[in-house]
Amino acid sequence: MAATQHTSVQTRVKRAAYYLLLWLIALIFFLPVLWILLSSLKSTDQMLSSVPTVFFEPTFHNIVDTLNRPEFLPALINSVILSVVSVVLAVIVSFTAAYAISRFKPKGSDFLMFLLLSMRMVPAAAVIIPLFLMFVELHWKGSYVGLTLFYTMYSIPFSLWILKGFLDGVSQRFDETALICGANYLQIMFGIILPQVRPALIAAFIFNVIFVWNEFLVNYIVGGSSTQNVPGLLATGMYSGGSVDWTFMAATTSLYMMPVIVMIFFFQKYLLVGMTFGTVRGEV
Amino acid sequence: MNAKSTTAVPNAGGRRSFMGSLGRHGFVWGLLAPALIFFCVFNVVPLIWMVGLSFYNYTLTTGNPPMFNGIDNYLSLLSDPSDWSAFSRTFLFMLLTVSLSGLIGSLLGLVFWGSKNLPGRRIALTMLFTPMLLTPASVGVFFKLMLNPNFGVISYIAELFTGHRVDFLSHQMSAQIAVLLVDVWMWAPFMTLITLAALASVPQAELEAARVDRLGWFATLKRVIFPHAKFILMLGLLLRTIDAFKTTDVVLLLTHGGPGASTELLGMRIYRLGFNSLDMGNASTMGVVALLIAIGFTSLYLYVLSLKRVEG
Repeated sequence: MAATQHTSVQTRVKRAAYYLLLWLIALIFFLPVLWILLSSLKSTDQMLSSVPTVFFEPTFHNIVDTLNRPEFLPALINSVILSVVSVVLAVIVSFTAAYAISRFKPKGSDFLMFLLLSMRMVPAAAVIIPLFLMFVELHWKGSYVGLTLFYTMYSIPFSLWILKGFLDGVSQRFDETALICGANYLQIMFGIILPQVRPALIAAFIFNVIFVWNEFLVNYIVGGSSTQNVPGLLATGMYSGGSVDWTFMAATTSLYMMPVIVMIFFFQKYLLVGMTFGTVRGEV
Repeated sequence: MNAKSTTAVPNAGGRRSFMGSLGRHGFVWGLLAPALIFFCVFNVVPLIWMVGLSFYNYTLTTGNPPMFNGIDNYLSLLSDPSDWSAFSRTFLFMLLTVSLSGLIGSLLGLVFWGSKNLPGRRIALTMLFTPMLLTPASVGVFFKLMLNPNFGVISYIAELFTGHRVDFLSHQMSAQIAVLLVDVWMWAPFMTLITLAALASVPQAELEAARVDRLGWFATLKRVIFPHAKFILMLGLLLRTIDAFKTTDVVLLLTHGGPGASTELLGMRIYRLGFNSLDMGNASTMGVVALLIAIGFTSLYLYVLSLKRVEG
């Protein structure tokens, strides 16, 4: 490469312009998000004025007000419980299944992997129609357990795909050596193999938590008032009839996307594998 | 458990007793069972239920039990113009959003290719990648707010150009464009991500060789980069196609399929049939068709994925 101490003024200006362009592009895509973040710091009058307010004195009144609403905190707690519990369960279930598929290659496992992926490719509305009828029939509608278990299933395809991909990359010699040394399969699975697929476990956990955290159609249709998560709360707020409480909506949205943005920042290297359901690996 | 059958070393062959093999089978099925049970209860059973219902006349509002009517629902699907327009609208939407987000996204990917030393790169990429991981409910709220004819910032900007306040979501054409652009905004960064991965798969040595040979940028793109990058790009575009096909939730909050049926994509059509008209029979029929299309897309996706494995 060209020696850096010799970089001329021209190339330095060029590089600065290039970096500026990159930041500009990122900013343009982030602009709508930024606008909502700023909106949640405005007073109601500023937010609903016909000429948009760009410069204003930020107030945390809306945020505090939202946190104090009786409906916000329970919805937030539901979001956390539903996503964490279901995804932990899904990752455990997927790990054992992926280990079995990767090591013992039972008949039909390719077909099973295909079916699992297909199910995630169906429009949500098509899945919800029979799910709704089934939940009504079984009296699961509005139950925590029913919804959590559904979200577990929702998280299994991606977890299984990514874990199987990583497990295939772990040499079988580990298993064989451990077997000869007298370890049993459970010890091998959890003690020796599990630590080696940590990236897959992290990616499966983080991305499924985000997916369940963001999910609202199933929550809205199959859940009840006691299991409502924040997206469900937003959806009901939009269609509750009468006027929409925009300051509450903006503040809720802003608060709710914070954890997601933080996770994208910290787990950026898993983004590719996360967004391709474990089928494409690599870093950006 | 049965895991003590130490002779059952995977792929090791050798002496495998009958008991050992039985134990191994039990063990494998034991490992698979939880996932299979989840799969059956929450996917297989509902989907069989849906396929069954697609042969019934079942509307919740009438209070009548489901009535078997053979393939009537499928025949009416073939003859109902609003079902047809939902399909054609969905395919047009897929075509437009995949090509727009694909084009914009891969261009941005090329632009971001040399960004390794960008100051604050991680923050910039976080900003770029945020739209695709936002809660669809939030995106609906966002754009409803920004497109609001009384205080929305986008409608204010449109007023500067057109001289009057535009109510985007209450006119068919502008509502369709709004839905399309929101989707492109959410998913163009996904194609950027894919393009960056595709570009990373180009061997550095070949790029170096192209530079030594003084190959022009277009020739480099066509003859060096594209042959390597096309595989991952193809996978990205296929995933994008499937995602566009699935689109329901943002539309539900943004326009609810309206005005009229102008933004009623396939998912939205099923939703409205099922939960507005409570016509579970016809909604299931549409659902079955959607399921078949999804299986088709997934097969295509996995086929493309398998090509690379065979190649190398």
